[in-house]
Amino acid sequence: MTQTDILSSEQEDLRLLRESVRTLFERAGGSDRARQLRDAGGGFDPEMVRELAEAGVFGVAVPEDQGGLGMGLAAGGVIAEEVGRVIAPEPVVSTIGLSLGLLRRLCPDHPKMAQLIGGEISLAVAWQERGPDGAPADATCRYADGKLTGGKAWVVGAIGSHGFLVVAEQDDGPVLVLAEADAQGLVIDKRTQADGSSLGELSFSGTPAAELASSGAVLTALAEAVADATALAAAELVGLSERAFEITLDYIKTREQFDKPIGSFQVIQHRAVDLNVMCEVAQAGVREALAQMDSETDPKVRAPIASRAKARAVTAAKKITRDAIQLHGAVGYTDEFDIGLYLNRALVLSAWLGDDAYHRRIWFEAREAEGAAQ
Amino acid sequence: MTDWNAMTDAEFRKEVRQFFEAEYPEELRHLPHRPKFAEIEHWHRKLHAKGWVAPAWPAEFGGMGLNAAKLLIFYEEQQRWGVNRGRDMGVQMVGPLIIKFGTQEQKDYWLPRILSCEDIWCQGYSEPGAGSDLANLRTRAEIDGDDFVINGQKIWTTMAHDATHIFMLVRTDPDAPKKQQGISFLLAPMDQPGVEVRTITTLSGETEFCEVFFDNARTPRENLVGELNKGWTMAKALLSFERIFIGSPSLAQNALGQLESFARGRGAFDDPVFRDRFAQAALDVEDHAALYARFADQLKRGETLGADVSMLKIWVTECFQRITELMIEAAGPDGGSIGPLQVGNVSVDVLASFYKARPTTIYGGSNEIQRNILSKAVLGLPG
Repeated sequence: MTQTDILSSEQEDLRLLRESVRTLFERAGGSDRARQLRDAGGGFDPEMVRELAEAGVFGVAVPEDQGGLGMGLAAGGVIAEEVGRVIAPEPVVSTIGLSLGLLRRLCPDHPKMAQLIGGEISLAVAWQERGPDGAPADATCRYADGKLTGGKAWVVGAIGSHGFLVVAEQDDGPVLVLAEADAQGLVIDKRTQADGSSLGELSFSGTPAAELASSGAVLTALAEAVADATALAAAELVGLSERAFEITLDYIKTREQFDKPIGSFQVIQHRAVDLNVMCEVAQAGVREALAQMDSETDPKVRAPIASRAKARAVTAAKKITRDAIQLHGAVGYTDEFDIGLYLNRALVLSAWLGDDAYHRRIWFEAREAEGAAQ
Repeated sequence: MTDWNAMTDAEFRKEVRQFFEAEYPEELRHLPHRPKFAEIEHWHRKLHAKGWVAPAWPAEFGGMGLNAAKLLIFYEEQQRWGVNRGRDMGVQMVGPLIIKFGTQEQKDYWLPRILSCEDIWCQGYSEPGAGSDLANLRTRAEIDGDDFVINGQKIWTTMAHDATHIFMLVRTDPDAPKKQQGISFLLAPMDQPGVEVRTITTLSGETEFCEVFFDNARTPRENLVGELNKGWTMAKALLSFERIFIGSPSLAQNALGQLESFARGRGAFDDPVFRDRFAQAALDVEDHAALYARFADQLKRGETLGADVSMLKIWVTECFQRITELMIEAAGPDGGSIGPLQVGNVSVDVLASFYKARPTTIYGGSNEIQRNILSKAVLGLPG
């Protein structure tokens, strides 16, 4: 095969993957499903998780010899875009990026791997902590004698998960442990998010947990998994932005004022073009970043690439969803119209794992460090 | 004759790069102004001897015969090394039109003279009342015996004061039902009593733009290219490649490099606000390059580019402007000073970059016109 043939057959794989995931979501009701789940209390649908697993979604970036599809983050990004388009609440990106990202790097033979890939369970990753001022702080959560003490914050997918992968400290350094959801001494405080989903604030008081891995490798794997999840969240925002733009474009073509579609007014047209351009730039930048992360192994290089992706995707999604409300006019401010669901989901995904200002800073600092090293 | 298209992209890029690096005169790299022909003549001779004056023309007319993918590489290398495009209106604009629509006699006569720069061309399209609304042009050409007699005025004619010939859109049928009809494409010599050229001094103090006045100027009837009254469609047919070229990342990339060395020398990176704005600009350039690569891949696969390629121009020119504005900011109290500023071992002309960025959102179809095009042709918005 020539290089072009390889390239196009890869693109063909991604195209097929995209089609199958899109069909699956559309058959299940598209973005209407997100509204129903939100109104029912803000969880996700375990049946959907199983269907996604059957389509190979969760194992997409897990190597084939570990039971996955071995298609890399680029394919993960295709899935994440489709999740974003229908604002699906299932923990797809957090599972591909964080839970499986940690397990496949630290304990690929653990039986939970196969269960996660198979959609039988979901595990939430608890790695961040809240300091006394409410802002993110260094880890103090302790693990000793098989028990956890302390707390974890901003845990995505905490409600409905079967257990927690907790990054904690023990005497000789960092450790990754598994606590079951119904473990003794575990209290889950739920913080409701703009999109109806929840973040968990966990507190452990002598909570039994099983050690999965220890030593500095835990933090290295965590950083890698966070980078993966960050880039995939960027892809989810790209899909979200695209769909939010399409909805808005349809609206301005049909909504009439002064006896004309408002999309015939030049000021509306130019705004729509700007949103479209922003969307295309974000899509191109994020897809390129994911592909680069697949061909790069050095964590120091991969992390700023993920930051570049998230910075762009958040900037685009914020602008697109907020302008979308403006272009919808008063109805855009009602809960009845779907566009608000996209704005709310964008708020949540932007705040998760760092917004654009944060990631520009990380990206710039990495660039400076690289410059200084040369 | 070398079949450049048979080479791999990497081989071809290497070949082009080596030639530029070995042969391009150092003093002409990254020229901040548009040169007169005399200033770059020695380089043009080398390029002509090499047979590389017209990369896009078919080989049978003395070009390199490059396909779109190779052409893009050629231009990328040209810009990377800061190689001046030279007086390329003949090669870029009038040559392709003659090749496509000209008679055998026109091809035999004009094309070799374009390649050798025996004739140096300027483009007479815009008029005082016909800028974005180009079809509104009024300069008249009337048949009088064996000649066309031309009356009217062209403006923004780049380097007309250093051109021997002008190719122009003129009105040949003022009674046509639509204004796009009744326009013809005409070639005319500049050196004649009925043609007067006045230079226009720009904001940056340069005189590269001109006004050209036609007062009963004459050109032989055989200098009509294509059919009478069909000039509009012909001129439009040529624009498709220009639309990706005008959106290439190079101008913004070069400016970003300048901004970085300048800002570093000036200590501007100590300011966290500046750092963030620099990061924004740098990421704007990087993500634009990703989008550009997507369109370039389309060309490489042999696909035709759609109207959506206009978004490259919108994004990159506005980004280029922001970068040059940051340069002024980093210059602090020197932000209003003309001429190069020395910072460490780099010399940066802050205002020259700023001025250079201003017209990019105006020329080649203003960014507002590009937005009109995108909204109708790509987004399908009404009216």
